[in-house]
Amino acid sequence: MTYAELAVTTNFSFLRGASHPWELVERAAELGLAAIGIADRNSLAGVVRAHEAWKKLKTNELPKLLIGARLVFRDGTPDILAYPKDRKAYARLCRLLSIGKLRAPKGECLLDLADLKKYSRGLLLIVMPPANPEDAKPILASLGAGVWLAASMLYTGEDRRHLKRLKQVAREARVPLIAVNDVLYHDPTERDLQDVVTCIREHVTLREAGKRLEANAERHLKAPGEMARLFRACPEAIGETLRFAQAIHFTLSELGQRYPREPVPRGKTPDGHLRDLTEDGLTRRYPDGVPAKVKELAEKELRFIANRKIAHYFLTVHDIVAFARSRGILCQGRGSAANSVVCYALHVTSVDPMEIDVLFERFLSTERTEPPDIDVDFEHERREEVIQYVYQRYGHRRAALTATVIRYRPRSAIREAGKVFGLSEDVTGKLASTVWGHYGEGLSDDQIRQGEQDPHNRLVKRAVMFADRLIGFPRHLSQHVGGFVLTRDKLDWTVPIGPAAMEDRYFIEWDKDDLDTLKIMKVDVLALGMLTCIRKAFALIRAHENVKDESLTLAMKPTDPSVYDMLCNADAVGVFQVESRAQMNMLPRLRPREFYDLVVEVAIVRPGPIQGGMVHPYLKRRANPSLIKFPSPHPDHGPPDELYELLKKTKGVPLFQEQAMRLAIVAAQFSPDEANGLRRAMATFRHVGTIGTFQEKFIGRMIARGYEKEFAQACFEQIKGFGSYGFPESHAASFALLVYVSAWIKKHHPAAFAAALLNSQPMGFYAPAEIVRCARDHQVKVLAPDAAYSHWDSTLERDAEGKLCLRLGLRQIDGFGDADAQTIMDNRGFGYRDFADFARRTGLPKRALVILAEADALRGFGLDRREGLWAVRRLPDDRPLPLFDRISAPDQGPEHIAPLPQLPLGEHVLADYQTIRLSLKGYPTQFLRSCLDEDGIASCQSVGTLTDGAFVRCAGIVLVRQRPGEGTAIFITLSDETGICNVVVWARTFDRFRKEVMGARLLLVEGRVQKSPEGVVHLMAERMIDRSSDLRLLSGDALPPAAPAHHPRDVRVLPPSRDFH
Amino acid sequence: MIQNLKIVPVDEKADRDLLERIADWCDRFTPLVALDQPQGLLLDITGVAHLFGGEEKMLSFVRARIAVQGLAVQGAIAGTCLAARALARHADGVIAPPGENARVLAPLPVAALDYSEDVMRALRRAGLKTIAQVEARGRAELASRFGASFVTRLDVMLGAEEKPLAPRRALPDFRAEQRFAEPVVTKEVIAASLHALAASLSGMLEREGQGLRLLEAFFFRADGKVDRISVKTGTPLRNADVMLRLLDERLDALADPLDPGFGFDVIRLEASVTEKNQTITASLDDDENSRWQIAFLVDRLAARFGEHRVQRFVAQDTHIPEAQSIAVPAQDRDFEGTWIRRRKESDPPLRPLRLLEKPEEISVPVSGVPEGAPVRFRWRRAQFDVARVEGPERIAMEWWKKEKPTRDYFRVETRDGQRFWLYRDGLYRETGLHPRWYMQGIFA
Repeated sequence: MTYAELAVTTNFSFLRGASHPWELVERAAELGLAAIGIADRNSLAGVVRAHEAWKKLKTNELPKLLIGARLVFRDGTPDILAYPKDRKAYARLCRLLSIGKLRAPKGECLLDLADLKKYSRGLLLIVMPPANPEDAKPILASLGAGVWLAASMLYTGEDRRHLKRLKQVAREARVPLIAVNDVLYHDPTERDLQDVVTCIREHVTLREAGKRLEANAERHLKAPGEMARLFRACPEAIGETLRFAQAIHFTLSELGQRYPREPVPRGKTPDGHLRDLTEDGLTRRYPDGVPAKVKELAEKELRFIANRKIAHYFLTVHDIVAFARSRGILCQGRGSAANSVVCYALHVTSVDPMEIDVLFERFLSTERTEPPDIDVDFEHERREEVIQYVYQRYGHRRAALTATVIRYRPRSAIREAGKVFGLSEDVTGKLASTVWGHYGEGLSDDQIRQGEQDPHNRLVKRAVMFADRLIGFPRHLSQHVGGFVLTRDKLDWTVPIGPAAMEDRYFIEWDKDDLDTLKIMKVDVLALGMLTCIRKAFALIRAHENVKDESLTLAMKPTDPSVYDMLCNADAVGVFQVESRAQMNMLPRLRPREFYDLVVEVAIVRPGPIQGGMVHPYLKRRANPSLIKFPSPHPDHGPPDELYELLKKTKGVPLFQEQAMRLAIVAAQFSPDEANGLRRAMATFRHVGTIGTFQEKFIGRMIARGYEKEFAQACFEQIKGFGSYGFPESHAASFALLVYVSAWIKKHHPAAFAAALLNSQPMGFYAPAEIVRCARDHQVKVLAPDAAYSHWDSTLERDAEGKLCLRLGLRQIDGFGDADAQTIMDNRGFGYRDFADFARRTGLPKRALVILAEADALRGFGLDRREGLWAVRRLPDDRPLPLFDRISAPDQGPEHIAPLPQLPLGEHVLADYQTIRLSLKGYPTQFLRSCLDEDGIASCQSVGTLTDGAFVRCAGIVLVRQRPGEGTAIFITLSDETGICNVVVWARTFDRFRKEVMGARLLLVEGRVQKSPEGVVHLMAERMIDRSSDLRLLSGDALPPAAPAHHPRDVRVLPPSRDFH
Repeated sequence: MIQNLKIVPVDEKADRDLLERIADWCDRFTPLVALDQPQGLLLDITGVAHLFGGEEKMLSFVRARIAVQGLAVQGAIAGTCLAARALARHADGVIAPPGENARVLAPLPVAALDYSEDVMRALRRAGLKTIAQVEARGRAELASRFGASFVTRLDVMLGAEEKPLAPRRALPDFRAEQRFAEPVVTKEVIAASLHALAASLSGMLEREGQGLRLLEAFFFRADGKVDRISVKTGTPLRNADVMLRLLDERLDALADPLDPGFGFDVIRLEASVTEKNQTITASLDDDENSRWQIAFLVDRLAARFGEHRVQRFVAQDTHIPEAQSIAVPAQDRDFEGTWIRRRKESDPPLRPLRLLEKPEEISVPVSGVPEGAPVRFRWRRAQFDVARVEGPERIAMEWWKKEKPTRDYFRVETRDGQRFWLYRDGLYRETGLHPRWYMQGIFA
């Protein structure tokens, strides 16, 4: 007896199914089903995962995998399962779903029976039984051939009665009856999870859920024998499932991509066109003649591209990049295929192949089975123009964004699961807040205690347990930030497309991994804040400084020693990539002196090398080249230098992602298939279970081949650490270039650099206060935002002595709008006479003037904060009627009043922080100094003067908190009026002081000074105390609690007072 | 963080009630008491203070007497309400001598001006923190910024003139009362009186668009005893006849009949609980009428037997049979539940209308496996042979409570035509071959 289950809902029917597609497919194989049909609710989002799992099955008797969808209608039609017979019918199904999605808001799909009738050719349909079987009659009659009526035996108490009536209906309608079990999960033990997701979907607790839950645990995949027994009164319904499955000849392997033709001019072949473009580009890149080595490489690459028939892909990328360049939009490519001579010639990348070995060979040799991958970063503020161009050129039906599957992370899982068990928001909020960032593994007992909950409390325990099971479940689809799929034919013949939240933006139902599985290529059009910053800095430098235009390009020679000197001193606030705490610690130790050092610097401070313990060996060998050696196998197993080529550039230590992968192939002799599986396993964290088997294989084989056990283990730890955040050398090289360029600007044009950074916010690690502090450290004079002089953006101006100063823009003022700033700039002319003139000519609403006064931005008119507010208060109220035009409003005469009481400096500083989040007048801690002194608390600067190992107490404003990757250390930067102090908290200490670390704005740290030979000073925290309440002394007013901020950059030292706005 | 801080939600109504009670109690100092919501009282003590030995003594006396009641109290005396309020809030215990408001108020914070929050904030932000500092600014300077009314407020506050207090007003309520010159004894007179009172109460309710949910009758006996009788209704009521019939039911049902003794000198009817009620238009709709009649019947029965004795079933949202409904007082409308009928009228019922109080274990010697129904069973010492059976209906218990076995329910019909609702506790694969069986209900 055998059986095919055709009604299977996976967890890609969000919050309806309780099993992953692969769980269902694997179980179907175990049960020996003849076929399994995946039919999610108006969606094909889960089918690729099912397909992938199905391809991996190892059983002899493979179940057939049928790809379909469960159509849910808005017009009262019962659900219908639709399975395409062939590729053409599949295209119609995609089109049908797209139509339903396009008329609905994001994430929904609205279908009528009439839509199905229009696209039903080639679709085999199973009508799910309505509560009253007779209701199915008209639908069955209207659908014609290729229709089945489903029957299920779900222990409702009248299954047999129901079945009899369905039989009757089917006979009358002359359609066959077909058995289904309407599956929601693969195993009956998943019923509880199914109940929990139902509650999440319905926004109820388990207690309230009642009949919204299933009555029993029967909706799981059942064995053929069991299904036959249930349907013993109607065995033909079981036989029908096999007949149905046999009628289907479609698999996802048939999908392939045809690339758009546009970028190839008429009469040319793609390969020929690419060759022409490359040769042309190379002559421009090397005006003094193309070096032979480069020529040779280009030839090799072109041959390879022709072989793999992927010229189209390069041409499409070139097309997009050429558009951006024509608009003056900075961009840079990265990715496995990007660091090639071809891409350099096409101006996709700026890494000169003469400076650094191009890595395309890696792509040639290792990723034979993968589609090429080029990500292009554009200025974040102008990426939209590029996206619009893509749409314009290829049309909405041929270009769409890929999806991102939003999954349950520990935070969201505990929050939602907690709600289901009736835990209050503050309890789940506290539990969630102890999870650092978005990634992590379940909640430990300690974390539960940190969240002020009892880990043995039954409800908490249950909630946590279900949260654990929920982690990794898809929650909804969202658009990928910039991954475009482009096709020659209509895209919605391949995959359903739906609208995104943003208007005129569409995305498909599959994500990056799905596309990889199906070998469909995509182009990533990404946004990078640093590119915006660099372009803005270049523009400011051109306008204000005497610098030759040609030198301002991404392709500048990365050779200036003074730039490297600056980086060696860890002076890197604002510099791309290396501005994080961990990077800043590494800089003085690694001491970059040339471009490749920057490539290493970028890649080494990542979870992979850190977890693999590769950092210290690398640094040691760098300091002492005699230590460089290459691990080798036993002579019986291979040549002793088999790793030399692979590791020579990194001194025998694997640092890059692909080096680790190559190790698997060369040293552990993984087959390409195994290597691919390993790569997948490390990318998908829910596959944690599978990584263990790879671990044994990897380490076992390396040891067997005579490698040292420690080395093998370290390599594998590194692979695990790479996870999805590994850095291949090509990415590192592209990024290193931006590191150099931004550092160069910072070194030689610090005022322009700070202005550009401020004008490109939000980006980077640091808040404006830190950027400004750093500019002042570089001897830049900084001027406050002022209505009389400032623009919206920060600008450069020359003071009386002709020195270049940074004038902060009005954008630094919280709550001040850019339209109002524009009005001020438009009306400024040769300047405003006084405040009355300013108010009259700009006609700004009173609210805007109040904001300016509160930000102390009226000093240009001789009014300080208090006087400004007092003056604004005097203005007549806003009158919206044009009848009372402001010109005709009677001028208030000048007023002569007694001076107002002086605002103390401390309160000025406080108010500055509350309005522009920084102060040029002073630092909050300077007003607390006497009271800190009394408590024996040292200033940040004095910590650096202490000897190694000294005990010290130091307090300061928390500027940045970082926990790099899964590192065991947390970095905190404290600052006070004397400088900054870098604190390191070990995970063990952090666990005890989690609340203080996460919550304090003014933090007191007790610990010991640690000085490295390179002169890096750290305060190793032993105890921490939250002293935020001291800030209250400044304001004389209770501070509201800090709102949770998502990025350290957004954390406010002082939240806006209730007194403001 | 304050350890052991007890947090109590705000209860505005209770606060107001308390304030009213204190105001009532303050009647002993002066008849002119005004509420200064939400937390203040204003007492007009013109010409009263000497009774307590002067203003100073009176203030400390009043404060002491209120403080004894466990309340935190602040108080002050001044020539005007505004000044007195300001002092009470910001300078507890101060007495402003006549004509010296300006001097006494000068050091107070601007908050004492008790003007709009926006103005207070603007003054503070300008560094003007006391009334004296504000007062020192030019009047034109202030008026151009905060309007003329602010300047007026400032002057009134510091001056000696203002409007008199608004005295308190009683809440309107629904109450009808008849006083008798001669105490009444006879049933007829009492009945006639109730009749008249009901009619007048009904009229009041009608005018206000209200209906009563709780009707109370008070019979004040000449000797001081008061008999109180109350009747609850299920729907808002204003029909006088219905009120009388409900009262009659209640009076009839009293264990101790109403005893006039030497006669009642006052009879009062009160609508103690009322709610909004649309005027009832006579409905031609039979359904509507019968609903009213049922409601009236329920009210009558409840009046006679007590409200907890008349119950109705309310559907509960659960799969668990014994929890599918609960019985609640029929008049109580706080419970809602909907009975869903998904099935066709012609289908036989899935469950009996009423279940046994507790499922009763039955012995089942023979049944089908894996999920067949019993062929024969014993219940309450009688043997039953099963003739026909339908099922099973599989109901899993609520796993998040206590883990209990899943049940398979069967509807069985015996040879004698009796129909029962049985279940097996647990699936065979969980319980082995000897599961327990239970009887949970009997079909009508």
